Amino acid sequence: MLRVRGLRVALGGRVILRDVALAVAPGEVVALEGPSGAGKTTLLRAIAGLLPIEAGQVEAAARPALVFQQHALAGRLTAQGNVLVGALGRLGFWRPALRWWPAVETAAAAECLARVGLADCAGQRADRLSGGQRQRVAVARALMQRAPVLLADEPVASLDPENAAAVLALLRGLAAREGLAVLVALHQPDLAQRYADRRLRLEEGQLCPT
Amino acid sequence: MRRAAWLLALGVCYGACLLVVRPDLPRLWAGLPRLARWLGGAFPPDFSGLPDLLHRAAETVAIATLGTTLAALLALPLAVLAARPVTPLALLYHPARAVLDTLRGVDGFVFALIFVAAVGLGPFAGMLGVALHAAGSIGKLWSEALETADQAPLEAALSAGASRAQAAVMVLVPETLPQTTSALLYVWEFNIRASTVLGLVGAGGLGQELKNAVDLLDFARVLAILILIITLVLAADRLSALLRRRLA
Repeated sequence: MLRVRGLRVALGGRVILRDVALAVAPGEVVALEGPSGAGKTTLLRAIAGLLPIEAGQVEAAARPALVFQQHALAGRLTAQGNVLVGALGRLGFWRPALRWWPAVETAAAAECLARVGLADCAGQRADRLSGGQRQRVAVARALMQRAPVLLADEPVASLDPENAAAVLALLRGLAAREGLAVLVALHQPDLAQRYADRRLRLEEGQLCPT
Repeated sequence: MRRAAWLLALGVCYGACLLVVRPDLPRLWAGLPRLARWLGGAFPPDFSGLPDLLHRAAETVAIATLGTTLAALLALPLAVLAARPVTPLALLYHPARAVLDTLRGVDGFVFALIFVAAVGLGPFAGMLGVALHAAGSIGKLWSEALETADQAPLEAALSAGASRAQAAVMVLVPETLPQTTSALLYVWEFNIRASTVLGLVGAGGLGQELKNAVDLLDFARVLAILILIITLVLAADRLSALLRRRLA
């Protein structure tokens, strides 16, 4: 369960988000819509703990996982190497640094790749994958965090319609099957209509009725 | 008006340089026959005692290789401290950059001169001299590679709960590997060239033989050594280019 109350975020002295309150239940997909510059990315990054919060609260059982807009993969690492990055938060420094991953983590990474339909791509370098495959690897990396809340910042912005539908169907399926609370920023109303249980609209840093 | 001021400033600068250097064309003219005589005497090049020359050439390669390796070890922590996105101690960012600039600012030849006085004649002093100067160059190039790398994967790792050090080692190091390795090879290649003259200050390598031959006005020997130096530098250049292509 994700619950946000009275969230206020200011960057460089400018207030970006004002009194934002929302909740996403386990198994639910909520679409966050709004024009460019409305504060969608800021909201997701603040919830993910990447930006300081001026006021308000973010409640989640564990640190939410974030899928970035441009996948943010390390191009020279393999798909599996990128997924394993999601496990760094629960590992010490030396074993990952020496590429001596615990067997349980490599098995988990393989499983995460299988969950996003990329079991066969584990050994391929990320920069040799297609755009859709890269975004799926980014989802697998988020799954590797074992977070109950998944945030996705316009995950289909750079994908063709077919891949966009596939990635959103994947998020939808993960929410339904595994009970993840999914909050996804989307630009396309038709996709939000099709894949989200609920839609929220953000305008000038405030949530408005849709 | 502005252009005239620039031209005037440039003229003053060149005038000052000429006053200091005092180029003397008649002296050059008078020296040309001597140079021609030496050049004539240099043929055929004297490769007698080739094993000794090859030993000196190997010494040059060893000075450059060990010096570059030691430099890389010294440069690594400094480069991390001097790269804004990954530095664990922001307070040490500027001091680390100042140390790198200082090391780069003093030539390896000067460091070698100091080390010859400190540890005695020979390639060990040369290696130390090369290492200190190269640490500044490598550290600077590496810190810039870390600073200009795509920060998105680093941020993704941080958002997944990784520490800054974990994110740097797991994500930024592999991402910048082509640039950092290329910088290292470039400095190694530069050090091969630099190590060929370290012998002039008694720090080992082919330079030592070169100095002896020049002191004895044995120009056939000088030419043989120059041919070896050029071969060595070209071989290092080709090898470094080949490795860089493979890493790209």
